[in-house]
Amino acid sequence: MTFMDWYREDRLPHIYCTGCGNGTVINCTLEAVEQMGWAVDDTVFISGIGCSSRAPGYIKTDSLHTTHGRALAFATGVKLANPRLNVVVFTGDGDLAAIGGNHFIHACRRNVDLTVVCMNNMIYGMTGGQGSPCTPVGAISTTTPYGAVEPVFDLSELAVTAGANYVARWTSYHVKELTKAVKDGLETPGFSFIEALTQCPTAYGRRNKLRQVSDMINYMRTNVILIQKKQRMLERGEAVPEEKIPVGEFVRRNRPAMGVPK
Amino acid sequence: MKLVIDESRCKGCNLCTMVCPYHIFQEGDRLNERGIIVPKLDRPERCPNCRLQKLYGRRLCGACALICPDQAIRWEEEKPYEKHKVVIEY
Ligand code: SF4
Ligand code: SF4
Repeated sequence: MTFMDWYREDRLPHIYCTGCGNGTVINCTLEAVEQMGWAVDDTVFISGIGCSSRAPGYIKTDSLHTTHGRALAFATGVKLANPRLNVVVFTGDGDLAAIGGNHFIHACRRNVDLTVVCMNNMIYGMTGGQGSPCTPVGAISTTTPYGAVEPVFDLSELAVTAGANYVARWTSYHVKELTKAVKDGLETPGFSFIEALTQCPTAYGRRNKLRQVSDMINYMRTNVILIQKKQRMLERGEAVPEEKIPVGEFVRRNRPAMGVPK
Repeated sequence: MKLVIDESRCKGCNLCTMVCPYHIFQEGDRLNERGIIVPKLDRPERCPNCRLQKLYGRRLCGACALICPDQAIRWEEEKPYEKHKVVIEY
């Protein structure tokens, strides 16, 4: 068995653009689910609105495609109504951090036994490239034509602070590490949050001089820094360059969780 | 086993050319009937999955299949089995 067995092959190829990282993140998530040995009938995929949220439509299991930003609210309901189900949420940065921001922090606080995979492409891709809370400072989008000026939401740090039991961040280039992180998240009782930075060549790259898919991948490959290395550098008093994105496992802990089957 | 790219799914993003440690995937140069330049395979029998998947009973490496956003890369059974001479440079 491989992750391909979880896809609805009649629905493929999917609608994502050439080189969109969302397909990669779905592959990695399904590979992790496959390694867990879960049954199709016991697994539910839930999503909100956005490019990332089309993912459950390509998967064989039961799924909920809910209103914008409310995926976590629906997922909490599913998990608490039937704790034996394995619930995985696909969401994006606009869906999770902007419109569903409140649901996000409260799902972390309640520590409901969910696994959330956030495909952070740093922009609203589906609606035409508006700036999201994760658009980097200086980046061009249709709502920030002179470059974004607002400070950026660090979703992983937010999840750590709000109380999630497992938080990790990787990119769609680091497929093996991402698969491992999703698997660790699925294994951890309580709220698990995995942020996957993905490339969006159509809405983000095209406006930000990263037009080729390989440009965006190289940007992610060269600008990530392992979080342990960042901490070591800080301890030694070295300066960490501003543009470096920390990746790796942010936290793994054992706060009391809701919705764990007894 | 044989490594194949499903031309009906590949969208020509060339992500697979960036991850293979053997550089089996090379940028293509010819449009297919869907107007997409599908990567070429350079001696695909060097991939450990082609040679050793059966022996180990699981998928090895697999980075290309995981990163392919369009699920276009897979390994097919070969029938009848064709013998390959495989040279692997270190
Ligand atoms: S499985 Fe690994 S070695 Fe084989 S073609 Fe894919 S990336 Fe290359
Ligand atoms: S990664 Fe997949 S879709 Fe992209 S060029 Fe390679 S085979 Fe085609």
